[in-house]
Amino acid sequence: MNAITAPRITLEGINRGLPGFARFCTYIGAIIGIASYAKFGPDGYGDDGLLFFLTASSFSWIGIGALAGLASGSVTAMLKPSVTEWVFSRNVISWLDGALLMILLATVEAFFEPGQSLINYNDQSNLLSGSIIMTMNITFLASALLYITYLFAPASIVGKLATASAWVGVYSGGSALLLRWYESYMLDTDIGHAPVSNLYEVFILMFCVTTVIYLSLERRYQARAMGAFVLPLVSAGVFFGIWLSSHGHADIKPLVPALQSYWMKIHVPMNFVGYGSFAVACGAGMAYLTREWLELRGASSKLLAVFPSLEQLDQLAYKAVAIGFPAFTLATILGAAWASEAWGGYWSWDPKETWALIVWLTYGAYLHVRVSHGWQGRPLAWWTVAGFLVTVFCFIGVNMYLSGLHSYGRL
Amino acid sequence: MKTTPWYKPYFDRLSSMSLAIALLVVLGLASTIGTVLLQNQEQADYLIKFGPLWYSVFISLGLFDMYHTPWFIGLLVFLMISLSVCLWRNVPRMLKEMRSRKLVITDKALKRFHHLHHWQLKHANVESSEKLILGTLNDWEIKRGEDNGRTYIRGDKGRFNKVGYILVHSAILVVLIGGWIGAQYGFRGTMSVVENGTDNTIGFLKGTKTEHLKMPFEIRCDDFFIDFYPTGMPKEFRSTLSIIDNGKVVIDHKDIIVNEPLYYKGVRIYQASFGDGGSSIKLKLYDLTTGKIRTVDTEVYQTWRDPKSGISLEITNFRPYNIENMANPGEPKDFKDLGPAIEYVVRGPNIKSVKVKSFMKPFEMNGQNRGHLIMVSMSGEDRDYQPFALGLDFTQPNDWKLYRSFIKALGKQKGARDQKANFAAFSQAMKSVFGDKRPDDFQEMGMRVIQGMNNLSALPWPFIPILDSFDQKYYTGLELAQDPGMNIVWIGSAMLVIGLCFMFYVPHRKLWVVLSPVGKGVEVTLGAMSNRNKLGFELEFNQLLTKLDEALQPENNSGSAS
Repeated sequence: MNAITAPRITLEGINRGLPGFARFCTYIGAIIGIASYAKFGPDGYGDDGLLFFLTASSFSWIGIGALAGLASGSVTAMLKPSVTEWVFSRNVISWLDGALLMILLATVEAFFEPGQSLINYNDQSNLLSGSIIMTMNITFLASALLYITYLFAPASIVGKLATASAWVGVYSGGSALLLRWYESYMLDTDIGHAPVSNLYEVFILMFCVTTVIYLSLERRYQARAMGAFVLPLVSAGVFFGIWLSSHGHADIKPLVPALQSYWMKIHVPMNFVGYGSFAVACGAGMAYLTREWLELRGASSKLLAVFPSLEQLDQLAYKAVAIGFPAFTLATILGAAWASEAWGGYWSWDPKETWALIVWLTYGAYLHVRVSHGWQGRPLAWWTVAGFLVTVFCFIGVNMYLSGLHSYGRL
Repeated sequence: MKTTPWYKPYFDRLSSMSLAIALLVVLGLASTIGTVLLQNQEQADYLIKFGPLWYSVFISLGLFDMYHTPWFIGLLVFLMISLSVCLWRNVPRMLKEMRSRKLVITDKALKRFHHLHHWQLKHANVESSEKLILGTLNDWEIKRGEDNGRTYIRGDKGRFNKVGYILVHSAILVVLIGGWIGAQYGFRGTMSVVENGTDNTIGFLKGTKTEHLKMPFEIRCDDFFIDFYPTGMPKEFRSTLSIIDNGKVVIDHKDIIVNEPLYYKGVRIYQASFGDGGSSIKLKLYDLTTGKIRTVDTEVYQTWRDPKSGISLEITNFRPYNIENMANPGEPKDFKDLGPAIEYVVRGPNIKSVKVKSFMKPFEMNGQNRGHLIMVSMSGEDRDYQPFALGLDFTQPNDWKLYRSFIKALGKQKGARDQKANFAAFSQAMKSVFGDKRPDDFQEMGMRVIQGMNNLSALPWPFIPILDSFDQKYYTGLELAQDPGMNIVWIGSAMLVIGLCFMFYVPHRKLWVVLSPVGKGVEVTLGAMSNRNKLGFELEFNQLLTKLDEALQPENNSGSAS
């Protein structure tokens, strides 16, 4: 297991100790500042334009929060130096850095947005986010090709390019979504809403979440060969996204009353953490099956050397499910909480709800056979693949074939 | 000899993992049925869709209200029993395991550890080495002791991992119990209250039947307001409600919108839908044979019958706005409000009954008045609406006058019906209506009248109903629900999430360090294990090794690590 035991050297210094911990506290302070502004601020949540019409007062709330976080973090770290080694802070800090970078990138992109006079609701082809999403499509496709090439030509430059393009894809997709959020307010403040309201937007979210979960596993466990299975899944989605946009589903549309709730911003992204992890688990499962098949066929050791070992792939699939299952459970509960506030009951046996339950049962059973029955290897690899098919049906199939209360994602 | 009770094997099987997995899979499969088969629809719809044979098969299995059938509930009960037995059998053992932290470990057991490391410290004593090791293990929960001349250190992390297991499994029991209480003692149904009206009864579907339940209070809808986006999509609908309990107004003029329900006496009142609450409609009937104009006063949802011809108009809907995208496919969208419209079904002797949508305002295109437009659906389905131009603009009395005199003039003409004759008749009609003063827009009007001449004769009805005025009244569609089990479900949900976090993110990691004096030195053995997250533990173990290596410095002690 040499690959796995290799120490991580990248930026380790600034993510640990005082710099890491103080930064972590600053972020948490800023987040608390935003949340309290939303809850207690003068215009508060009511307008929902919070994110984009940053007034002096909202800036001061966020700034005070960040400063207070920085100060309390530094003081705590001085009084009790061991807190700086807190595992949670160390694990979370790079995600927060990444999120900040994403926001900065979207802010920079917003400067290149065509002027207000060139933008109107009826013809949205001028919007910049469209071109950035196209960039994302291309980089994801390129990344998939590079990852596959890497299997057969495991030169480190190919692998690095594959990883880099996947990151470019994630950042263009994520920042394009943030930009779309901004654009929706540019079209009309009444139309403005978070970019998680229709199938096209959540598709982009799904690509980014899947890829980012994969990339974090790749970085931690040096499992680059898995990318040759995850990124093609993402690419398949990219083609579907292109199809959606060519059929006019890519337009920003105003929100129906049922979706006008802060729950949408919580429930939907959380769900995609679940879906994305299940996609990564499926990728790991496919990598497992491929490696096993190659071994049985007596493939060259050079090709096999690219792959992580069967045991590692098995563990990686489990790890992805271990991220996805709690996230999906939480997302479903949040959905129930929203339903109890909007539909008159936390559970209506709506097709989407029922399929979420089916997905949950599928992975629940997976965890049972694995942890308590001690199953491993091939049957579980197949299980992750089958489980992902169930997930895909829950995600898209329900919208295509079944009716119900979740019909805003309808095709 | 101890005899095992007769129920023991059944008991074991009930809590067995295979049964649990089988139950999860069967529940999953059963649930799919209800998503494929639309639940709680009208009986007639099912009969049409499946035919009488399959209908009777499905209804006997309860598939139209599947999630409330005894067999589905039985499955859930079975799951609850299995879960309870499983918890009953495992919890005491887990709690014991959590509390007891066995310190002394045999060499044989130690050898089986996946993570194992030895240090030979040639010039060191046990006490100082132990001190160094304990200094490194500062984030582990430590227990130490001596036995048989050896020093044992046991470290634990995430000792309460098994609490996660207990929480998750009892959470599901709690959620199911909460759900059962809700189903047993709660209700959920809809109520439509007309503007300025009151109601106190909800209706809900049970299987294919509608049942009613009286609420302990009355709801009055004081006002209903709806706002649209420029695309015609509803942006917000808002009801102003008052609640009357025992003749007293207890909640006065309170607004509710979707996502922001009202709460009274344990009942939540949700804004769910809206519709026409029986608006007053005034129609003008233009008689095609006599040319006379009649007025009819009616209401939405009422049927007006013409005593003369026996033709009836059933007004089915009224909408004050009708926003449509007028652009051709592929062009940028162009949303336009076509104004108020009514929908009605025309029935009568010797005519086919059709559904009609009729607009109040004439249709305008490229700045030209093209007269009134109706949409006709031969099948009665909304998707089959086809536009039909009436030609005339009925809001301008002159259109109808000109049309009528044109017909008269044509009727007076004898002989050849050529273009010239038609033109002569038209000028004659113009003269009789306007004299010598032709209006400015007479050309547009002429076009309309000629189109009317061509199209109106194609209509099978003796008169044309045109919406003249209206007094709109909405009803607000409310959903009322009471669920005494809901908070229990939330408690269960919280337990579930917390438990899952324990289970997945706080694995129980154990380590043993055994120090035994060997000659002048010490032999240190480290063994460690984790019950979850093997990959993550690999990293953690290696970091620990590096730290211990630094602390013990076997090199300086001229020892060797293996």
